[in-house]
Amino acid sequence: MLSRTLAIALATFHETVRDRLFYLVGFFGVALVGASMVLSPLTVGAQSKIVADVGLGSMALLGLLVVLLVGSNLVRKEMDRHTITTVLTKPVGRTDYLIGKYLGLALTLTVMIALMGLIYFGAVSMTTMKPGLAHLGAIYLTLLELLILTSAAVAFSFLVGNALSAVLTAALFVIGHLLRSLRDFAAMTEGLSQDVIMVAYRILPDLEVFNVRSEVVHGDAVGAGLIGMATFYGIGWVIVFLVVARALFDRKEL
Amino acid sequence: MSHPRAVGNGPAGSILTVDGLRKTYRQGFLGRRGAPAVADVSLEVRRGEIFALLGHNGAGKTTTLKAILGLVRPDRGRITIDGVDAARPESRESVGYLPEAPYFHENLAARELLDFYGKLLGLSREQRRERTAECLAQVGMAHEARRKLRDCSKGMRQRIGLAQALLNRPRLLILDEPQSGLDPLGRRQVRDLLLAEKRRGATIVFSSHIVPDVEAIADRVAMLRHGRLAEIKDLSSRPPSRCFRIVAAPPRTAEQPSSRWLEDPRWTVTETTSDRWILDVVGAGNLGALLAELDQASAAVHDVRARGGDLETEFLAGLERDHAQEVPSC
Repeated sequence: MLSRTLAIALATFHETVRDRLFYLVGFFGVALVGASMVLSPLTVGAQSKIVADVGLGSMALLGLLVVLLVGSNLVRKEMDRHTITTVLTKPVGRTDYLIGKYLGLALTLTVMIALMGLIYFGAVSMTTMKPGLAHLGAIYLTLLELLILTSAAVAFSFLVGNALSAVLTAALFVIGHLLRSLRDFAAMTEGLSQDVIMVAYRILPDLEVFNVRSEVVHGDAVGAGLIGMATFYGIGWVIVFLVVARALFDRKEL
Repeated sequence: MSHPRAVGNGPAGSILTVDGLRKTYRQGFLGRRGAPAVADVSLEVRRGEIFALLGHNGAGKTTTLKAILGLVRPDRGRITIDGVDAARPESRESVGYLPEAPYFHENLAARELLDFYGKLLGLSREQRRERTAECLAQVGMAHEARRKLRDCSKGMRQRIGLAQALLNRPRLLILDEPQSGLDPLGRRQVRDLLLAEKRRGATIVFSSHIVPDVEAIADRVAMLRHGRLAEIKDLSSRPPSRCFRIVAAPPRTAEQPSSRWLEDPRWTVTETTSDRWILDVVGAGNLGALLAELDQASAAVHDVRARGGDLETEFLAGLERDHAQEVPSC
């Protein structure tokens, strides 16, 4: 059973490699070096902070781009192209298939973030800042956030089309980062709007949990407790979205 | 009614059972149910036979096959493969399937694709290497193993589709319109391949709307009309027959065919006018004799067309009956 899931995961990974998705890593490197060269002279004495901030930010945004382009298409594309039928007529269950596809893209994102991380470490090392565990933690948390968004994109894609799924995932990314501000805003309001915001706060993932860029840029430590808590929180949300995706997938006629 | 989940052997002698299958697709934004695509279909497929699903377009053939393969969820009914509930992935351990229009990952080469499917079937690396080579050779694609799917013609894809269906030496081979869209040579190769698989001991279930294809290889045929099973016919004991229709222009001097023609039991005169004869004949030997007679009579043969035999007549008659019942009287 596991070998079939892994076979699907590896096939998905190879497909993304063939789709030249890793060109984005090169783009990241060029963008990071370019941005550092342009912005550093404008911020005397804060070059290392600029490099770290731009590096971590662009890593998250390029990862999001991959999630939007590939994640929302992950299973839908196979359904639209009918390539899924020959796979599911082998002794492969829909759960194995879904998890395999998800793990394949997760592997792609992991390798991509790891490569970007190497470039990032190289770029930061050339400044006065010494990249350490906090930087590693920030990169790891960025990956976790992308994995949640991927699972959400897959679930959305069973509800709506590919394009709308990408829009919903992008909206989740934005709202997920604004939830704390919205909660604070709700505390100042009353009535229905407060209730709506509080419901959203409770039922949507708080993606700020994974944002430690500010700590890293200012040289603060990122504690193991935070990393551990974020890991459980992230895995929990991935499971929730995948369970929803599996339930919706079950209703699909192929 | 809930059905117990069966695991183990199916009914003696049958590899596939479909019991009271009903499927209605949801339509539109609100997901309203339309007319059933398949209604109350029950059948049993015996081990080692070639079983055909014959029906017009939209008769429910593909839906029945998809339900057997777990691709669509039946509203009602129970399907078992070798005694295992068809909804469970294990039921497909020893099943091979060729869809009507096989779609594959375009970036893969034929052998990469087969290797991937081999992994899904749980074959070892050695088995995958061996079976990939064997299956590609079996469908005449051994020299195209490295060709990317995107560079393959429709016929090549069909062959690769067949190769992946044969990869695990399936006990049950399911094919959706395997000969549609193929040239005469391709059709013959598919037919020969299916007969070879039958000799190996495989059970074959295929759908078709082409009666001669069914008559040529099927042991039994289930005729589907408008989603319902009209009847199941046993063709295995029937002598192979092929019906031909000949259209000829009578010689200028001739008036009507002589009584000798009309009385000859080997053919039937369907139409005789001053400018056209239409004759139906069963069997290639009789066809030769009739063509010789026409030649002797100096009649110009305009057309010789192969037609289905009794099965086609019955199939078309059934469709016409259904159509007559559907058309409201004025």
